[in-house]
Amino acid sequence: MWFEFFKFDLRYQLRQPLLWVSALVLAAMAFGASSTDAIQVGGSIGNINRNAPVVIAQMLGSFSIISMFIVTIFIAGTVLRDSDIGISDMIFSTPMRKQDYLIGRFLAGLLACLTIFITIALGIMIGPYMPWVDSAKVGPFSLQPFLFGFAIFVLPNLLFIGSFLMLLAATTRSMMLVYVGVLVFFVLWGVGGAFTRDISNEWLAVLIDPFGTRAFSRATRYFSAAESNAGLPSLNGFILANRALWTTVALGCFAATLILFKPQRAGTARSLFGRKNKPQASDSASLIRAQARPYAVSSKAASPILQCWKIFCFDAIGVFKSVPFLVMMLFAILNFVASVSMGGRLYGTDVYPVTRLMLENLTGSFNFMLIIIVTFYAGELIFKERQAKIADVIDAMPIPNWAPLVAKSMALVGVVLAFLSAGILAAICFQLIRGGAPVELGLYLKGSLIGAVPFILMGLCALVLQVFTNNKFIGYLLMILLMVSQIVMSILHYDHNLYSFPGTPSIPYSDMNGFGHFVKGWSFFVLYWSFFSFILLVLAQAFWVRGLSQEWRVRWRLALTQLKGPSGLLLSLSLIGFVGTGAWIFYNTNVLNHYLPSNKTLDRQALYEKQYRQYKDLPHPKITDIRADVDIFPESRQVSIKGHYVLQNKSADVQDILRLQVDPDIETIWLNLPSHKVVLDDQTFGFKIIQLTQALAPQGRLELDFTVNIKRLGFTNSGATDSINLNGTFFNNGAFFPHFGYNSGVEIQDRSERRKRGLGEPERMPKLEDEAARAFNTFGSEADWINFETTISTSQDQIAIAPGYLQKTWEDQGRRYFHYKMDKPILNFFAYLSARWEVKKGDWKGLPIEIYYDKKHAYNVDRMIYGTQKSLDYYSSQFTPYQFQQVRILEFPSYQSFAQSFANTIPYSEGIGFIADLRDTEDVDYVFYVTAHEMAHQWWGHQIAGAGVQGSTMLIESLAQYSAMMVMEKEYGRDKMRRFLRYELDRYLRDRGSEQIEEQPLFRVENQQYIHYRKGSLVFYRLRDEIGEEPLNRALKRYLQDKAFEEAPYTTSKDLLSYIRAEAPADKQGLITDLFEKIVFYDNRVTDATAKQRPDGQWDITMKIHLAKLEADSKGTESPRLYDEPIEIAVFARVPGAKEKDERVLWSEKRQQPGGDSIVTLTVKEKPFELGVDPYNKMIDRVSSDNRKEISIE
Amino acid sequence: MLSIKQLNKTYANGVHALNDVSLEIPNGLFGLLGPNGAGKSSLMRTIATLQEPDSGQIHFKGLDVLQDKEGLRRQLGYLPQDFGVYPKVCAEDLLHHFAVLKGIGIKSERKEQVESLLRQTNLWEARKRGLGTYSGGMRQRFGIAQALLGSPKLVIVDEPTAGLDPDERNRFLNLLAEIGEQVVVILSTHIVEDVTDLCPRMAMICKGQVLIQGEPQAAIASLKNKVWRKSIQKAALADYQGRFNVLSTRLVAGKPQINVFAETQPEEGFTMVEPDLEDVYFLQLRNSQARQAGASQGAVHVV
Repeated sequence: MWFEFFKFDLRYQLRQPLLWVSALVLAAMAFGASSTDAIQVGGSIGNINRNAPVVIAQMLGSFSIISMFIVTIFIAGTVLRDSDIGISDMIFSTPMRKQDYLIGRFLAGLLACLTIFITIALGIMIGPYMPWVDSAKVGPFSLQPFLFGFAIFVLPNLLFIGSFLMLLAATTRSMMLVYVGVLVFFVLWGVGGAFTRDISNEWLAVLIDPFGTRAFSRATRYFSAAESNAGLPSLNGFILANRALWTTVALGCFAATLILFKPQRAGTARSLFGRKNKPQASDSASLIRAQARPYAVSSKAASPILQCWKIFCFDAIGVFKSVPFLVMMLFAILNFVASVSMGGRLYGTDVYPVTRLMLENLTGSFNFMLIIIVTFYAGELIFKERQAKIADVIDAMPIPNWAPLVAKSMALVGVVLAFLSAGILAAICFQLIRGGAPVELGLYLKGSLIGAVPFILMGLCALVLQVFTNNKFIGYLLMILLMVSQIVMSILHYDHNLYSFPGTPSIPYSDMNGFGHFVKGWSFFVLYWSFFSFILLVLAQAFWVRGLSQEWRVRWRLALTQLKGPSGLLLSLSLIGFVGTGAWIFYNTNVLNHYLPSNKTLDRQALYEKQYRQYKDLPHPKITDIRADVDIFPESRQVSIKGHYVLQNKSADVQDILRLQVDPDIETIWLNLPSHKVVLDDQTFGFKIIQLTQALAPQGRLELDFTVNIKRLGFTNSGATDSINLNGTFFNNGAFFPHFGYNSGVEIQDRSERRKRGLGEPERMPKLEDEAARAFNTFGSEADWINFETTISTSQDQIAIAPGYLQKTWEDQGRRYFHYKMDKPILNFFAYLSARWEVKKGDWKGLPIEIYYDKKHAYNVDRMIYGTQKSLDYYSSQFTPYQFQQVRILEFPSYQSFAQSFANTIPYSEGIGFIADLRDTEDVDYVFYVTAHEMAHQWWGHQIAGAGVQGSTMLIESLAQYSAMMVMEKEYGRDKMRRFLRYELDRYLRDRGSEQIEEQPLFRVENQQYIHYRKGSLVFYRLRDEIGEEPLNRALKRYLQDKAFEEAPYTTSKDLLSYIRAEAPADKQGLITDLFEKIVFYDNRVTDATAKQRPDGQWDITMKIHLAKLEADSKGTESPRLYDEPIEIAVFARVPGAKEKDERVLWSEKRQQPGGDSIVTLTVKEKPFELGVDPYNKMIDRVSSDNRKEISIE
Repeated sequence: MLSIKQLNKTYANGVHALNDVSLEIPNGLFGLLGPNGAGKSSLMRTIATLQEPDSGQIHFKGLDVLQDKEGLRRQLGYLPQDFGVYPKVCAEDLLHHFAVLKGIGIKSERKEQVESLLRQTNLWEARKRGLGTYSGGMRQRFGIAQALLGSPKLVIVDEPTAGLDPDERNRFLNLLAEIGEQVVVILSTHIVEDVTDLCPRMAMICKGQVLIQGEPQAAIASLKNKVWRKSIQKAALADYQGRFNVLSTRLVAGKPQINVFAETQPEEGFTMVEPDLEDVYFLQLRNSQARQAGASQGAVHVV
């Protein structure tokens, strides 16, 4: 019997267009994700193959979650379908058994969904073999990951989702409530994931995920590229336990469905909310004949405007009261709360909920729902009358076509605005609850209106599509196609906003700079697309269908008649407006500014590299002095520079060639080039080679004067952030000052893009052994150390700052001038800043410390001063004296999130630190840490500037990390450091999996952040632990004393290592090799720990431990190593209920243990609680949680 | 008053819904009679400006309806055959909403009309209730209330009595008759008595063609002395149908009783009966079917 249901239903399902449409759409997504980077479904990154087994399994897992909405239709929907179409009474009155009915239907739905997944799998399979895919990123084909994905994710998830939703459908009897259930389930799943991310109970976190993807990502999160490419994780306890649990739950749900399903008429049960259905009106009273009164039609007919308004009210209220709207709103609010309570965290520390961040969070986690809402309600609104079968009544009423269209457009706009208002309300509540940040209503208003625009435009477009197609589902389909086409266009590098509806330049907000100059370009694009939408609306009212849907022939005829008269005039006017603004935009983006599609930009870069790489690092006179008058005009966003370079031939040979490199997009004029012959002059790239008539003798000097004019005209297509701003200008010399020689910063780093353009493997840095490269420091080949002096002017209300000490400041003709001069040579690396700042002053032993901050962000200014003081204390006592006489920290707009150290000048983004919420003293104080890190650069960077070879950023960044950690440890203790290092370990292990080229050992780091920051912290902290703080600092001090301010040949990481080795004992030399010159991992764990009290009161402890040491190559392939170092073993006591930070060490020892499993026995005096190998996680161990184990008392 | 000339409409699927339809409809109740699928609804929708004819003309009181749809809509009340409501909206609210859409600009006037119509259709007590809770009859009365908003000069009601109980139906028709004293009311139905009882004028259409139009009584009179009745055995029915122009068959006490159209007594046992509109209706249908079949029998046209 069940087979009959199964057969019938499967045939029905397979004939449904929806099944094939969703299968194709999802397969296309899968195909896109596996063949491009534009669609991300847990796809591959870096060196991981596009068809790596882990990637395939991940994609299938993600799709099994995404498909939940489809499963709703094909499995849960089948239970309700019969009563929806009204055939249920006929079916349920036959002598069938409900088990057969349900099982047959369920299996048919399951099979239908599997069909969808087979097409998805096909999409994933063929994607990597497309001609545009970089073949180096495609591994051999294997069916195994697909089988794994189906067995682990697809089947169990379909089973679970299907039976869960079927249960929901069987009990609620309402498709709408099933969808509500889906949404609520999603929210709980997302929120649950966010809140269990940090919990220590790994089992719980992994088990409560019904989709099993978290168990999988836990098993693969620290996979290196090689591991991801090679195979799948073993089916360990986590994955199996999770799958078993949820399959059981699924079967339970199904069993419950079998019991609870009642084959009776829907709606005969009691209402879910207890509201009794009102009895059907039975009114037998005869018609009371009111005297028939002839109504005089009022002379004043209702104006179409009133009609329009009434329809608007009616429709808008209808939407606001509708369940899907409320559900989606609730969903979005929950999603927002989950995201905002985690958002902006750094090292687990929150940020103040400033309004800017609230708006960013709303955009990221709340507003996206609007695209679904406007698409859905465009269909609902247009078809509202027809669905209620009341269309004929209304269509025959004297309403002009435009009135309902305008009303429905307004209703949709109202829906968008109401939705955003709900978001604002949620955000304000969040702000008030967390406290500490002002509620900026005006900003909320502006930000939300700006955020609303694309959704309003999309909504109007959706309405128009519904009107034109006159078929709800085709209308929806076209909307989806529109969205897909936007993605496809950007893949194909068609990224001009003029043809990608409703594209606008971005309009970022910063507390310092507000919406800045971005408003202008944005507004014109909005105007442009508004005209466009208006044109569509005018056309739509002409094609508005009244009554029975007409054939196109008739609709055209009617539309043409409609368009004669006022609407035709409106159409022409808006067409003129559309073309006019379009032309104006084109003039701004493509004539006043350069617009190059992204692939063309890459082509240009490749061409530059091919033509001019030959001139890289050739001998050239070096800059020794820079003097510059820099006029900053913030309000018109102009900068003009009058500069003076002194060049010196530092080589032993005469030099007569100058290679001038200027930015071709800005005007640079050399004022006094000595007499010369032009060898090459490339205007496109601003590259020019001249041969001097009179060669420069060794040590000979040459003075060059130049002017640079930077004007920002009109607006650009992208609205990319700029360094010249109304408030908060920040640019460095790299940006606008003229340069010498080949600029290797232009080179493309992406391997695939390079291969496409016939370029070789990227070279991030010269090899450590490249002696020739030691002629230049890591800050560039143009100069060694320079004398620096500058005069800056800016508008009257701003302060302008550059490295150096203020000599003089004055006002002239409504502008402020500042003259800065540096008293000793600095690196050729300096910045100019100008903004309206508040200034807070402090000092360290009389040395002034100044913080320049925006008046909204006074929160952590004192912490910064304090951090600076503590840093100066430590560094000047442990290393060498501070070379400058002042420290300045300057806030700049949040368009970028970093802090950067220039000589005595530290720009610090408003996005980090300034708004960190340090009210909870348990949190990691990263403001203190970042300040200490940047201060450390005054030594590591501004005293030691290593050669621009491999390992140079270890000298700068890893040592700054080490220095900052020492300052932090002094202030906050070891316990905080362990928390800090846990984050560093996690980020190192995670980020190495997405390495684009090769992972290097620390001393060969090629400016790889996860190595020089994250691994650097771990390596130096462990080194300090192994050889002691004093010897290490002694080594660093000697290194500084010998190498600071040195010129070519510059120092390298090899030099530093030899200083460290000199201070380290003989038995640590091997460790230093492992730490710096190799990539080594440990896999240490306690497998068993028991204790037994002896008659004398002491405790005998037996522990089983497992030790392993592995070495990885640059791609992450690991090979085992002999376990050749002592391991720290410790036993702890803890008062019942106490936390880890209150524990006491009963016994601790570093002892030599063999690799693999071994048993350790020892005796302690008190009752032990816990023990561990490497209990403080100082080693790089992928599973740090199994290093400790609670002792079971026998 | 309402004059329809040579209206034609063929649907995309080839159905000839309106075939050269011409009608003259004066003030008063006008019955439009025809079997299911005859084109009644197509005709009414076309008059109600909801559908474009392929060709033809419609004039209402000098107004060219196809050119000035807006003009007609201002004086139109339309109750479609199968209409729905928003289940959660109450009758009064929806009627107010419709009143605006019908163009009643002044609020007080809207209020007065809505109230009066709610009373007139006996929905006053139930005005605050969601329309979803209404019975079929109440909903139909709501429909007529809606159609009467704004004092229409032309009221079109499409099969309004389908699904109503006899009581409800009578009341409904009375209401229509009353309205029909002042304006044009077109009532489409396939229930012959409705037309006989109420409509001073009527038309019959089938397969998109007007079979006859005129006064029901005149049509009935034209069959005077030509309708014969006989009770027969069930087994003989086919034989009779083959030999005579059988208009209708009905079972009386389990035995078929047939009405036959004939100039003289067709056979022993037939008695002459007073014709009614149903006989006219069936005769027209039979003739029309016969014409379709090719064996033309010369249609009877009455004036």
